[in-house]
Amino acid sequence: MAHFRDDEARSIILETYGRVCSDGETVARAFYAPEELDTLPRDAVGMSLGVGHPVRHAGLRAGETVLDLGCGAGIDTLLAARAVGPTGRVIGLDMTPEMVERAGWNAAAAAPANVEIRQGLIEEIPLPDASVDVVISNGVLNLSTRKSRVLAEAFRVLRPGGRISITDLVLEEALPEDVLKSPAALAG
Amino acid sequence: MLLKKFFNVGFADITVAERAAFGLDDIARYPLFAPDFLEFLRRAIPAERHRELVFSIAVKASKPVAPANLAR
Repeated sequence: MAHFRDDEARSIILETYGRVCSDGETVARAFYAPEELDTLPRDAVGMSLGVGHPVRHAGLRAGETVLDLGCGAGIDTLLAARAVGPTGRVIGLDMTPEMVERAGWNAAAAAPANVEIRQGLIEEIPLPDASVDVVISNGVLNLSTRKSRVLAEAFRVLRPGGRISITDLVLEEALPEDVLKSPAALAG
Repeated sequence: MLLKKFFNVGFADITVAERAAFGLDDIARYPLFAPDFLEFLRRAIPAERHRELVFSIAVKASKPVAPANLAR
């Protein structure tokens, strides 16, 4: 049962992720190797809010086009850009203006010419059909009240033979109702 | 449930590459949650679930070259 309407959920996510700040690297250090993090902009590492390492499982190859759904401050976007190299391209998509701005700064600081950051909804991906080789996402699908819609959009923008690699949180046993109704729980 | 959603939109070769328990201590690492909310979770959720609140999973899948389940 949905505890939040789509617009309510979106508002909570925008507010929570718009104001989040972190100067630590605790989350990133749990999922990424030190040698991966040491060469990335500190802000991208410090603002890592993911729950895994989707790039590790994506099998990215030089020259591929990658879409990072809910790119946040851009840690996976930048790692993907490194993996696909200068002949590849990575598009980071996020609905939160503050995260788009941060990801843009971090992409500029890391200086890969093959990264583009866009603002938009993962439920309405602003890309043409069959235009990317790989979709990645890290801890974002669970934030959407329309998960099937997000996956259908990912399917639409992938080329035939394309791949998706996501890391996310799943609930295998229900939580107490008052927890599920909490906006703070939704945002996490 | 999540894997079924992948299947329903047409993905194939759906694989869970990783699965790990995510507990309250893991959640507390994130700057998204205020201390009072974490305290609320500790009180509201039975202690035996504090180490396995949710699971983090890595899912891989592919879009078939010729979509087999387009009708779904």
